[in-house]
Amino acid sequence: MWGRVRVWGGGGFASRLLGAAAAAPRLHCSPHSKVQKPFSTSSVLSDEKDECTTSKGSTTEGASKRQKGTAETPKQKLLDIIGNMKVEVSYRKKLQELKASENKKQAMNRLEGPDSEGPQRTAESIQRGKPLNPELVKAASAVASSLPLNKKQTESELLAQLRRHEETTDKQKKGETINIRNVISEMTVKRQSPAQRGVRISSRISLELDDDGQRIRPERFLSQSFDSRRSLKVGKRLNIFTKASTEPEHALKTVPSPTIWDLEFAKEIAAITAQPPRNGFEEMIQWTKEGILWEFPIDNEVGMDDDAEFHEHIFLDKHLEGFPKEGPIRHFMELVICGLSKNPYLSVKQKIEHIEWFEKYFEEKKEFLQEI
Amino acid sequence: MAALGWVLRAARQVLPSPCPGQVRTYYVDWRMLRDVKRRRLAYEYADERLRINAIRKNTILPKELQEVADKEIAALPRDSCPSRIHNRCVLTSRPRGVRRRWRLSRIVFRHFADHAQVSGVQRAMW
Repeated sequence: MWGRVRVWGGGGFASRLLGAAAAAPRLHCSPHSKVQKPFSTSSVLSDEKDECTTSKGSTTEGASKRQKGTAETPKQKLLDIIGNMKVEVSYRKKLQELKASENKKQAMNRLEGPDSEGPQRTAESIQRGKPLNPELVKAASAVASSLPLNKKQTESELLAQLRRHEETTDKQKKGETINIRNVISEMTVKRQSPAQRGVRISSRISLELDDDGQRIRPERFLSQSFDSRRSLKVGKRLNIFTKASTEPEHALKTVPSPTIWDLEFAKEIAAITAQPPRNGFEEMIQWTKEGILWEFPIDNEVGMDDDAEFHEHIFLDKHLEGFPKEGPIRHFMELVICGLSKNPYLSVKQKIEHIEWFEKYFEEKKEFLQEI
Repeated sequence: MAALGWVLRAARQVLPSPCPGQVRTYYVDWRMLRDVKRRRLAYEYADERLRINAIRKNTILPKELQEVADKEIAALPRDSCPSRIHNRCVLTSRPRGVRRRWRLSRIVFRHFADHAQVSGVQRAMW
């Protein structure tokens, strides 16, 4: 168990060394080198004993390095560690140089990559791994020699792992930017229309779920996906040159009619927000809103929206065309009109209705009147 | 039947308003309810009654027409007559001793006035 832990730690240690160099492994390594000098022997010795018992399939570079150290005396182990440190530094610089020069080459290789895989990949790896391979090949060979299994197999496996590490790190460095660009271009921007904001807010606040478990009810908005780039055909038409077709709009607007739940929710909100009045002023405001209290200064014509002029109230002769021109009925109706013209409480509409009622009444009694 | 339905609806529509004090959801008694019905009907038939009466109380129109009008007005529902309305107390449905200005019976009026809940009313002393 302890051995495996060591291996894991060693593996991480080594992968950081060999992978995309960051400051971390450097910092990670230096205390090891400086502080753990007196302890390294013991740790290495313990590693010796542990790693002999570990599984043979563990192809970790750390194991390789330590086992390389174990093959020699403790002093040489220290020197090897220092040497490894140096290797790391040199490797970093070389890597940076390589990367600066090889960016273009790698881009080209990328384009050609899907066409021909094997040889070019290995070529890439060989190109990249140039600064590494001499040192690590030695280490790999040392490991292979130390392990009882087939030396060549282990060597090749270790080197392949190294290559893979590098490839993945390099790919990630360049490939991620492209992937992000793709993702962002695919993303769409949702816009809220103010007409439906109320519904949206209500759906957001409420924890209601549809059959699918989706919260937002008007799903047709998802179909209206706007691109991040603006185009000429996107947006509401002003209908300056073409006749406005209002049918589809109305159809769309009438679809989300307020459901019972919406009404209930609105009532709930109204009930909650309607707090009792804190003082007399608020009470009076509430009464004025309800209509209990009049608005001051008092307007005598509140509720009376009679837009008619005075002559429409007084000169009502024109409505007497349906009646006979002579006789008691005419006499009677003229009296009625005289009375209506003096009435300030009725609107013109009501007066006309009054006269029309009489007209209808006398129409019904016409046959009766003929007998008389 | 229709009247009952209207009455039930009127009773139900009185929602529990957040007002302090007593909340009355029913009419005090059946007499008050009947009075309410009469008032409603009187309001509905007021125009028609006025016009038919204008024909009746006439010296110009022939008498036969006026007799027909008499029969017509008699055919209207009895409760549509405004003279059947009786001003009862609004709170207790007391038929007598009701002050028109406050629509309250004398006992209720006195109760409220003594508790200073009637505006502008004070115990007389001269």
